[in-house]
Amino acid sequence: MSKIKDLFESGKIKSAFIPYFTLGDPNYNDSIEFGKTILDNGADILELGIPFSDPVADGPVIQRAVARSLKNKFSFDEIFRVTKEIHEHKKDTPLVYLTYFNPIFHCGILKFLDQAKEAGVVGLVIPDLPFDTKESETLFQELRKRDMDLIHLVTPASTKKRIEALKKTSTGFIYYVTSFGVTGERREFSVDLQERIRFLKDTIQLPICAGFGISTPDQAGQISGYADGIIIGSAIQRIIEENGHDFPKAKQSLAEYIAKIRVAIP
Amino acid sequence: MGKNQPGYFGEFGGRYAPEILTEALEELESTYQKLKKSKKFKKELEFYLSNYVGRPSPLTYAERLTKHWGGARIWLKREDLNHTGAHKINNAIGQALIAKFMGKKRIIAETGAGQHGLATATVGAMFGMETVVYMGAVDVERQNLNAKKIEMLGAKILPVTAGEATLKEATSEAMRDWALNVSTTHYIVGSAIGPHPFPTIVRDLQAVIGKEARSQFKKHNHKLPHAIVACVGGGSNAIGMFHAFLKDKNVAIYGAEAGGLGPKPGEHSATLTYGKTGFLHGTKTLIIQDEAGQIVPAHSVSAGLDYPGVGPEHAFLSQTKRVDYRMVTDEQALDCFLEVTRVEGIIPALETAHAFHVARDVAKDLGKKKDLIICLSGRGDKDVTEVLRLLGERSK
Repeated sequence: MSKIKDLFESGKIKSAFIPYFTLGDPNYNDSIEFGKTILDNGADILELGIPFSDPVADGPVIQRAVARSLKNKFSFDEIFRVTKEIHEHKKDTPLVYLTYFNPIFHCGILKFLDQAKEAGVVGLVIPDLPFDTKESETLFQELRKRDMDLIHLVTPASTKKRIEALKKTSTGFIYYVTSFGVTGERREFSVDLQERIRFLKDTIQLPICAGFGISTPDQAGQISGYADGIIIGSAIQRIIEENGHDFPKAKQSLAEYIAKIRVAIP
Repeated sequence: MGKNQPGYFGEFGGRYAPEILTEALEELESTYQKLKKSKKFKKELEFYLSNYVGRPSPLTYAERLTKHWGGARIWLKREDLNHTGAHKINNAIGQALIAKFMGKKRIIAETGAGQHGLATATVGAMFGMETVVYMGAVDVERQNLNAKKIEMLGAKILPVTAGEATLKEATSEAMRDWALNVSTTHYIVGSAIGPHPFPTIVRDLQAVIGKEARSQFKKHNHKLPHAIVACVGGGSNAIGMFHAFLKDKNVAIYGAEAGGLGPKPGEHSATLTYGKTGFLHGTKTLIIQDEAGQIVPAHSVSAGLDYPGVGPEHAFLSQTKRVDYRMVTDEQALDCFLEVTRVEGIIPALETAHAFHVARDVAKDLGKKKDLIICLSGRGDKDVTEVLRLLGERSK
């Protein structure tokens, strides 16, 4: 059974807290420490971003994080090294990669998956790889062989027909995109968010975690009342952006923020 | 969507876009399938092409250039004489009509050299649609005349400062805008790139170039030309020119891509020569990228060719060797720009100057009594300031 499935079925959590940050921003060694800090302060699943030069599904904060990260020499060896160190700090917390398909394709799907698993990663989110592509099918089959999950995105624009169709190749949890557009902090969410999540829960027999735009403890508390998890990226990345030059301050701010969100989630 | 399904050209093409765009892409595909068969749509498109764009564009025999180069007879398919000065208007009109049919009141576009932005701003004004054009901040500077025209037409230019601040970044930003406003907005993709169905729609709308050229040449000469040439960035004028000739096995087809300053990564936009298979901006195609799959910034003297990817159909035509794609450096393009201007009295776009350079070699190889058509994709007014600057640098 996958580690993510284990987590949601364990009954230990009501709603999961899934923070995200981009590896290599501002450098790879600081990323290890940021990862450890986030784990220590209450992540249930940690989502690690593998930078890609053209992140079309991301808003300005994550775009800037990626650009800062790519100023360091990018290599998969470095990505896997950093991931492994974060994983070894707290082996029970599932790690997930979020990246675009081109780097995975270039690394080679099988090689990438073997090394990702070895580094402690148990699932993948790939915003530009729709489930109904040949590549997604291959990836899904290979992930299953390794007890890893392919986490699909569902959006407010996804039709009923598509939601039904993606059930076959979806595992772990569903990443529900709370609003139109790209990643980034928002003040408001679509009015029917709760109904959409309820509908998804009824249709797909998987936990539904909401992301895109959540940043405050209030939002986290409210949405985690009806979603199986909440994903926060840009707000965390902003803390790293604003404090990355001052490592102790960045670590402390991250710890405080993660702890605040943790408390807000039931 | 599988390898043999619509939207693929061999292994290239497909739809690799964020999920938020899928519904809009499916709506676009089904609408286009219906409109393609609709007499009313065809009639309306033809009306605008002939009464607004000025089609058919002439096929001009370039007598002076033929003598000057001393090889095959040179013919020019004059897309530079279209309203707004380039082939881009063929696609912009067609997609604006599709947008109108879908009830979308807002159109957006990306632009490099500004010609597609200008064409989109023009149709936006004509159809009364709110228009936003994403343009790299670097391109706003080097293609300032077009940027000014776009604003004069009432469209909003949003300069993109991320990355290299050129066409690649403008395309990413337009995709982000579309994701946010997908229910009210149509994204008029400017080249034969992007997720399915864009490469097909753009190809079909630009195919008028090759259809006209083929029948104009045949009518005049009672035969087909021996060769055709076009420049390739994303590749919309080229695929439009090539499409009608692909089955004519005796017609040799050449594409000219930007060799830039040299072969090092970051110095060129020669995707078909140096690119590797990958995924960018919603499509599987050849892309200039490093060993880890990160996209390498492209370079060309011509803002319209400055893109690290290429339309998936070109990737396929290159793989099957139906088209011979050749590189042309910045210097060679600049020389040809001046040569054609002085010899033939036509100022070509810097993009087209690349095609002229390949054509000159092909014309010499073919020899006399053979015929070659060059797609003159656009006029060079927009490039005059940049060319003068480059000539100034050269003389230093």
